Amino acid sequence: MTVHELDEFLAPLRPQYADPRSLILPALKHVQEETGWLPPDAMATVAEATGFSQAYVESIATFYDRLYVEPVGRRVINVCVTLSCMLRGSDEIFEHIADYLGLDGEGTTDDGMFTLHKVQCIGACDRAPCLQVDAGEQIGPLEPADATCLIDDLRDEPAPARYCR
Amino acid sequence: MPVLNSVYRHREFGDTLTSLAEYERAGGYLGLQDALAMTPDDALYAFHRSGLRGRGGAGFPMGRKASFLPKDTGKPTYIVVNADESEPGTFKDREIIEHNPFQLIEGITIAAHAVGCERAYIYIRGEYEHQAQVLDSAVEQAREAGRLGPDALGPGRPFDITVYRGAGAYICGEETALLESLEGKRGQPRLKPPFPAVAGLYGCPTLINNVETLAALPPIMHRGADWYAAMGNEKSPGTKLFSVSGHVMNPGNFEIVLGQTTLRELIYDLAGGLRPGREVKAVWPGGSSVPVIGVGSLDVPLDYEALNGVGTFLGSGGCIVMDDSGCIVRASWRLAQFYQHESCGKCTPCREGTGWLAKILGRMVHGEGRGEEDIRMLESLFGRISGRTLCPLADGAVMPVQSALNLFRDEFVRVAEHGSPRPVPMMEAPVG
Amino acid sequence: MADQGQSPDIVTLTINGRQVTAPKGTMLVDAAKAVDIEIPIFCYEPRLGPPVGACRMCLVEVEGMRGLQTACSTPVADDMVVQTESEVAKDAQDGVLELLLANHPLDCPVCDKGGECPLQDRTFRFGPGETRTLEPKLHFPKPLDLSPLVALDRERCIACYRCVRFSQDVAEDGQLTFQERGDHTEIATFSGDPYEGRFTGNTIDLCPVGALTSNPYRFVSRPWDIKNTPSVCAGCSMGCNLEVTERDNEVKRLTGRPDPNMAVEEGWICDRGRWGYPALRSADRIPHAVLVDQVGRRGVLLERALAEVAGMLINRDLRIGVLLGDPVTVETGFLAQELAERVGDGRAMVRRTGIPGHGLGPLRALPGAQMDELDAADVVLVVGGDPASQQPVAELRIRKARRHGARVSMVGPRPSALDDACEVLRTTPGHLVDAIDVMRDRLLGSSRAVVLWDEADLAAEPAAAAALAELVAATPGARALEMCADVSGPGLRALGIPAAGGLLQAIEAGHIDVLVTIACDPTAGPEGTRWATALEGVGTIIEMGAYVSGLTDRATVVLPLLTPLEEEGVLVSMAGRAQRLRPGARECEGAAAAWELLVALTHRLGRAVPDRTPSQAFSRLAQRHSAFAGLDYGALGTEGAVIAPVEATGADAGTAPAQPAGDGLLVVPCRPVFGDADAFRSDALEPVREPARVCLAPAEAERLGVRTDARVHVRTPHGEMVLPLEVGSRYHEGAAYLVMGDPGTAAERLLPMDGGAVRAVVGVAARQEVSA
Ligand SMILES: Cc1cc2nc3c(=O)[nH]c(=O)nc-3n(C[C@H](O)[C@H](O)[C@H](O)COP(=O)(O)O)c2cc1C
Ligand code: SF4
Ligand code: FES
Repeated sequence: MTVHELDEFLAPLRPQYADPRSLILPALKHVQEETGWLPPDAMATVAEATGFSQAYVESIATFYDRLYVEPVGRRVINVCVTLSCMLRGSDEIFEHIADYLGLDGEGTTDDGMFTLHKVQCIGACDRAPCLQVDAGEQIGPLEPADATCLIDDLRDEPAPARYCR
Repeated sequence: MPVLNSVYRHREFGDTLTSLAEYERAGGYLGLQDALAMTPDDALYAFHRSGLRGRGGAGFPMGRKASFLPKDTGKPTYIVVNADESEPGTFKDREIIEHNPFQLIEGITIAAHAVGCERAYIYIRGEYEHQAQVLDSAVEQAREAGRLGPDALGPGRPFDITVYRGAGAYICGEETALLESLEGKRGQPRLKPPFPAVAGLYGCPTLINNVETLAALPPIMHRGADWYAAMGNEKSPGTKLFSVSGHVMNPGNFEIVLGQTTLRELIYDLAGGLRPGREVKAVWPGGSSVPVIGVGSLDVPLDYEALNGVGTFLGSGGCIVMDDSGCIVRASWRLAQFYQHESCGKCTPCREGTGWLAKILGRMVHGEGRGEEDIRMLESLFGRISGRTLCPLADGAVMPVQSALNLFRDEFVRVAEHGSPRPVPMMEAPVG
Repeated sequence: MADQGQSPDIVTLTINGRQVTAPKGTMLVDAAKAVDIEIPIFCYEPRLGPPVGACRMCLVEVEGMRGLQTACSTPVADDMVVQTESEVAKDAQDGVLELLLANHPLDCPVCDKGGECPLQDRTFRFGPGETRTLEPKLHFPKPLDLSPLVALDRERCIACYRCVRFSQDVAEDGQLTFQERGDHTEIATFSGDPYEGRFTGNTIDLCPVGALTSNPYRFVSRPWDIKNTPSVCAGCSMGCNLEVTERDNEVKRLTGRPDPNMAVEEGWICDRGRWGYPALRSADRIPHAVLVDQVGRRGVLLERALAEVAGMLINRDLRIGVLLGDPVTVETGFLAQELAERVGDGRAMVRRTGIPGHGLGPLRALPGAQMDELDAADVVLVVGGDPASQQPVAELRIRKARRHGARVSMVGPRPSALDDACEVLRTTPGHLVDAIDVMRDRLLGSSRAVVLWDEADLAAEPAAAAALAELVAATPGARALEMCADVSGPGLRALGIPAAGGLLQAIEAGHIDVLVTIACDPTAGPEGTRWATALEGVGTIIEMGAYVSGLTDRATVVLPLLTPLEEEGVLVSMAGRAQRLRPGARECEGAAAAWELLVALTHRLGRAVPDRTPSQAFSRLAQRHSAFAGLDYGALGTEGAVIAPVEATGADAGTAPAQPAGDGLLVVPCRPVFGDADAFRSDALEPVREPARVCLAPAEAERLGVRTDARVHVRTPHGEMVLPLEVGSRYHEGAAYLVMGDPGTAAERLLPMDGGAVRAVVGVAARQEVSA
């Protein structure tokens, strides 16, 4: 994404905030939608468009779990492992998915299709055990078989035009 | 057991209200109409009389907080809506936003009239992207209908709402960390004072309330503060959403009148009870940051004071239930890991202490404990963390573990000596 | 209850049972310190801005307040009752230390900070004595170089925020930040880039543990082997206070002062000042005296050389000139004056290098400001110069003024590192006067303005100097602060020592038989070529210098000098503050301080020498020179004292330089931070050195037909040389930006001695010039 494109995205947001610093987070999210993560040049673009230092932008980006400064797969599977989900089998679901993807715990598959993460409570304990693909709707309650189907379906899906993470 | 479903309109209506037309058909925006007929001060006073308390966790009276905002400072006044809802076990705000976004918008608009605000921000957690889109659409519909925009509060009285997305950080639910995040800084709590009411967003007077709190305003204005205050009891009036999760058959949100339903009724009558043959072992009744209580406390009525009476808090109303198949040390460890992960890292006791807690508990669970020595270590650590930090996150990390240790000391000793085998999880699909 | 009759701005409270009074707004930790009660802290550092209350080290009990309070962020209040040593408070302090050590490596014996580490000290005084952590500590990848000068060991970091706040909120360079969150929090630059800046070393001083250390100082000494001496930096006219660390007679380290001079540098020093000290042992340090006689040129003992010089000066008929360079102390200047009265029949000329400053009189007569007055200024106007590179720490004070609400503007011809912090009015060279006009209303509307003006730029534009003086004088409450081009200038001017122009003319007229130079080489300065030619006619040159110069080979006698880090005496800063140098080390056994040499010479000339120490010299000069009247050497302490304004007298009251005629581009002289001789002599600063060059706007380069990677030929009426070219859009058309300082190039030679403006013809260099 070019600085100009980002500027265009930010233009209607600018008047909504008394300080342009507030634009950093929306800008980072917007830029991440394009490549799925935030390589250094993406952060540099945000720094230029918002007028803050690159280091500052990176310090914001690394604070939040859902901004990725390391490469991730085409789809990020976030399995909640906090208490309510744990009580209903999230550890087992997580291990099942990892097995199915051929991963040893968290990580990215060799083909770059999937990144598997353990995440903290995603606000869907009524659907425990649950997961979220990227920042899509919380999915659950899951049985191991549901999780397998879900992954198969995702594999068949074309890469999203814009990642929503 | 009175279940009213009366405040959160989609519940009474029995369906989702995501279009403005539907919402208006269901009686939406009558509250605002009534509020606009009053002076701002009268509206404030109505908040006050309703007795509505903050639903984000601390239970601070909403009307009192709103009255702290200084007037005529020459600076803008802001409203910030806390939709960060990241407290484990809590998912009530999600329901309001998904099913009834306009009631929230209407509530915010009413508050804006009362405190003289032209722009509000809804800070919604990054994981609620789907819900944020519902909100976006609702805000857009309201804007198109003129319910937001240049004349939202009457001719020439503008008001608008910006939806701001977080990006994954529990601490951004703490009000000052939220403000920092919204200002484009790292989401770390501020020193108080000054309090946000005086110097909040961009240093301006700011009212911060939880989604559920503000969404209660339309019926309060329309049906009257007295109607609301008459529900529940004197110190805990009105209704509250409880999110029930964990080892129950029918997890979900339930709106109950405060003080008139017991914890046992919530678990057994509303949330479908437990699996056959199981009994309640432990309940975190107000989200994961409150002290855990045992089966002996099940008959406590659900209101702020009564829960304090049994040594815990109503908190966010996120009620996590564990049956007797669960291991309390493993559960405590899992929560400690949550707080370790979510500590913002600003202050020493929390940054270092939460990690230490998690490490000790993890060792115990994995059979590498050192018996009583670990227990003593835990006990001394509690005191070195809680009450000494910049924000209450660390207290929230200690309370569930400390209370668990007090309540289930024998089990802690056993696990510290022998470890904890992984239990069979409850995998059956919940009913309903 | 507050005492009756007490000012309402003073509150009375009780700390550990003692009654304490403190001004309203004082934080508990400072109120306690005032009565010698130490409350331990880590993150608290008021110079970085409001408290952050992050480390929780300073928890104390306050009666009536729930829980414990952080003393660093709790303001005093009347009737407050505070316990800092109660069991509860002790346990809290002990607990925080234990937690801080939970992930802190126990490598004090090999840590550079060991022995002078606040974490270590506080652990002894307030802590548990041993830690109970059995859990594995967090590990970060190996220590890394944050920059060539600063090393970072992330495992030792206690996340106190100090370095990050310095970078973000004081230097405002935005480069050092926290990354990640929770116990993974680490300080870092953008994707591991080096931390570049002019002030990076201050983060080392601020770090309360061994996480940030000085690369040049790593593993050099242990705290019990060293001696620390407070002194003053002679790197520029700012006059920053610093601390000299000595071991084995060598300067091992320079740091900001633990008890800063709040009216000057506030404890900050720039990286050039901090890491310039290796120059003291560079190859071109003059190790011993040199004498040329019938036998030839050879090294001799200082005593012998002095006897030789005395023999040369004793002849009453000789016409003698003394040229004082930079930096020299006021005692040296004064003793040179006295020597001059005793040699050559009292007709000896004493002159100084530097700008004569005709036309600057009215500016110098304005009410002067100290640096701390910037803190309360409503308008700050910088006219000419570039404090960011010439008086670096002034940049930090200007940024602070802006943070405190001042409107800061900068007018002048140079791009500056301060541009992001102020409203910039970039002028075409020679047009400062127009810019001053633009600022007129702004200034007249202010009530506490501080105007910083550049000596060199205003000397070059007399019309601007006159206009500015008149404007500031017309502005109520406004004060002026001169940014001096040289370090010795303010002190020597106060002694009435004029600039060197007359001396050069005398030399050219054949009227000087013996020239004594002290810490200078006029052949490397303005009109250096003319000096070189003129000096060919001088029979005897006696050079007193610390480093080999263009004169060294020519001189009949060379007397090795100590440098300001090794000598004693007084320097006067650009704000007129007389401050004491204290010898931090003595690296060169064969060398002496200039004042010592002057005393010894006078003595050998058979005169009674009343002064045997700088202190005695100072008290006599204070009697003779009104600017220093009433000042006492001993009482200068580590704060210094402000001298009285000086009126321009004698030879310095000449006419202002005329505007330059002829063709070519107007020259804008630029002096980069890392461009002075010390920067080139210090191996530590090698990675950041800025070589001499000419900079042009792209359009200008195109018009002249010169390319970026080329070297160009530069000619002014005072000389010509071949220099590298830099083309950049930061530069204005119509001007040649001459980057100077590099002693090997001595581009200063192209400038006029009268400080006037000059034009340069820039063109393609001939092939043989380029290869040469
Ligand atoms: C660590 C921490 C996390 C919090 N998270 C939330 C949250 O997710 N949502 C919320 O409404 N309040 C949260 N709070 C409470 C807020 O700080 C604040 O009290 C609340 O938003 C005020 O709104 P109310 O008065 O309507 O409850 C949190 C507090 C702490 C200390
Ligand atoms: S208690 Fe934890 S979350 Fe709160 S400020 Fe301290 S480190 Fe951050
Ligand atoms: S010094 Fe007070 S919290 Fe750090």
